[in-house]
Amino acid sequence: MSDLLSIGATGVRAYQTALTTTSENIANAGTVGYSRRTTVLNEVAAPSNSTTRVPNGLGVVVGGVTRAADLYRSSEVRTAGSDLARSEAGITWLDRIDGALSGNKLGDRLTAFFTSTKAIAADPSALAPRATTLEAAQSVATAFSATGAALSAAASDLDASADAATTQLNGLSAALAKVNSGLSRAQDGSAANSTLLDQRDQILESMSAITDVSVSFDAIGRATVRGGGDGGPLLVQGVESATVTYVRNDEGAVSYAAQFGNTSSALSPSGGALAGYTDGAQKIAAAQSQLSDQARAFAEGVNAVQAAGVDLNGDPGAPIFAIGDPASNLTLVLNDPRGIAAAAPGAGTRDNSNLARFDTLRATGNVEGAITDMTASNGAALAAKRNVAEAQGAIRDTAVAARDSVSGVNIDEEAVDLMRFQQAYQASSRVIQVARETLQSILDIR
Amino acid sequence: MTIRVSTSQMFDRPLSLMSQLSAQADKAQTQIATTKKISGAADSPTAWLRLEGLKRAGADDGAYSANIKLAQGVLAQSDSTLESVESQMQRAKELALEASNGGLTDENRQAIAEELDSIRDSLFGLANTKDVRGQPLFGSATGDTAYVKNIDGTVGFVGTGDPARIPVGDGDAVQPSVSGAQAFAAGTGDMFSVLADLSAALKAGGDISQAASDGLAGIDATLDSVAAARASVGARAARLDLSADHLVDAGEARESERSGLEDTDIPTAITQLQKTLTVLQATQASFTKLSSMSLFDYLK
Repeated sequence: MSDLLSIGATGVRAYQTALTTTSENIANAGTVGYSRRTTVLNEVAAPSNSTTRVPNGLGVVVGGVTRAADLYRSSEVRTAGSDLARSEAGITWLDRIDGALSGNKLGDRLTAFFTSTKAIAADPSALAPRATTLEAAQSVATAFSATGAALSAAASDLDASADAATTQLNGLSAALAKVNSGLSRAQDGSAANSTLLDQRDQILESMSAITDVSVSFDAIGRATVRGGGDGGPLLVQGVESATVTYVRNDEGAVSYAAQFGNTSSALSPSGGALAGYTDGAQKIAAAQSQLSDQARAFAEGVNAVQAAGVDLNGDPGAPIFAIGDPASNLTLVLNDPRGIAAAAPGAGTRDNSNLARFDTLRATGNVEGAITDMTASNGAALAAKRNVAEAQGAIRDTAVAARDSVSGVNIDEEAVDLMRFQQAYQASSRVIQVARETLQSILDIR
Repeated sequence: MTIRVSTSQMFDRPLSLMSQLSAQADKAQTQIATTKKISGAADSPTAWLRLEGLKRAGADDGAYSANIKLAQGVLAQSDSTLESVESQMQRAKELALEASNGGLTDENRQAIAEELDSIRDSLFGLANTKDVRGQPLFGSATGDTAYVKNIDGTVGFVGTGDPARIPVGDGDAVQPSVSGAQAFAAGTGDMFSVLADLSAALKAGGDISQAASDGLAGIDATLDSVAAARASVGARAARLDLSADHLVDAGEARESERSGLEDTDIPTAITQLQKTLTVLQATQASFTKLSSMSLFDYLK
């Protein structure tokens, strides 16, 4: 009867563990990155050989705790997350460019400048329309400078964000190396092992939001991570991790380098926020150079018109704008309204024929059109990227749902398990009681 | 195979759906409140590009219509001043006809000569009229006045060429007045020399029949020039009226295009908003119901 007693005891112990696992699942139903655990119960088989014949086993034993995880679904989530993070980071910077280009109303102010010269043409010797034109010129200079400054601010914010992202990536890599080291010590099937594996998957997911990663696992679940696809540099291997740095060269192009041990190699992310920053940096640099080109063309064009005519005092027209560095940094250098060269040389103060050159400049240079086109094409890129991000968001949601439907906790299921294991526990206790009563009934024989 | 839904999914999914619906409702609400469905280039790059073009054309037409108003004012002033010149010259013609009458005494001739002189003085004033810009109405391309009185009493036109043209449209400009050299010409001279010659002949006495007929011819030539100038001014004013009408029409066409591109279609937007809100409310209700259900409620 001692068999019955010990079988009952193994049941009580095993179901205690199972109840604990269920409680753990319930407690962590809302924990991000937690994978549902299941207690594995195995029968304890009685030792038998050709001479002994034991009809029953020796009870139940906990074989370990398994994590409900699916490597492929987790990998899908990482890929989808990288794609989405790249688009979202790209959107941030396209949005900044959009704000810089349209926020300062550069196109409107250029239009106001050119139309104000028509009022001078109607009354060339009056000062009021000339003063209006100078104000409009000041406003154009301010708009060019402010737009350039907004783009520069976006570029330096991008630098800071990219720096922060690489710092975060380095932290994650170091943490993953620690998890790898923990995994080599943790016993398979232990709670510690499951927790480490959860942490590993969560860190990998966070890393994939920063750069696309190529991940492989060894037999005990330690991850080897390469950044920027299969051929990319090592970020984590065993207990070692790489340090990723963000560099912007003098031409404004951005790049990343990964230092692993003594080897340094270029990291070229094709997904994640880092790739989005590369895209954004290119767009911002392109916008800055286009803006500077337009500012230069406009200022030089206006100054050339001035030089071709004479002002109210009969002197050759002086330049209106000075081109700064960068060229978008225009400043107004003409302060006297009389200085606007409306007349052709020798034609007198009531002549307006030189002003027609502004119309020619406007038509041939078409700075207004170029600025509008820049804004519109950036807007088109932004709209397209938003559509892509929306689709990628849906793909990622599906991937997350697929993964969570395997590894997530459903508390109704846990409630059922709770009842099941509670009943099994109670039944095992009852077995112990029966064993005692049975033994007692033998002892009671007199 | 049934799909297993984890508890956190049961919260996360409705949460993201409800925030999407809220964002949609907010967008519809903004479109209704601002009456604009395009708030930036990204909303619709092609429409935005078109709107920018319309805005630019509107600003240009604003400048042109201000110029047209100014030119119309100057032209009207030219016309009324030329009319006064015309009536003065009519009076001069009467006097010349009277002077050509043989039976006049020297005193009569003297009186006629004096009246001719005073007409000439008032014509000098009229010819030097300033326009609303403070510029000589009948001036040339240069100079602050149209005519000057020389020491010997003759009147001379200042400068050469036509006054500057005012831009009133793309590649279109109009001259708002006429140069005095053109409007007051009489053969090789002008109305001032015609009147001065006649007056001098009358004052000198003797046989003035030749001088009177020369004077009459000169006055007629001046009247022809003035009439031609008035016709030209009137034609230009009529052209500007057409241009102004055209600007109004173009403005209306632009406004209707702008409205089509950018204005919110209020009934559609309200229907959309209502639909979104209904779905949102239903989602909230079903979420509350589903999330309140748990097997644990029945475990006693």
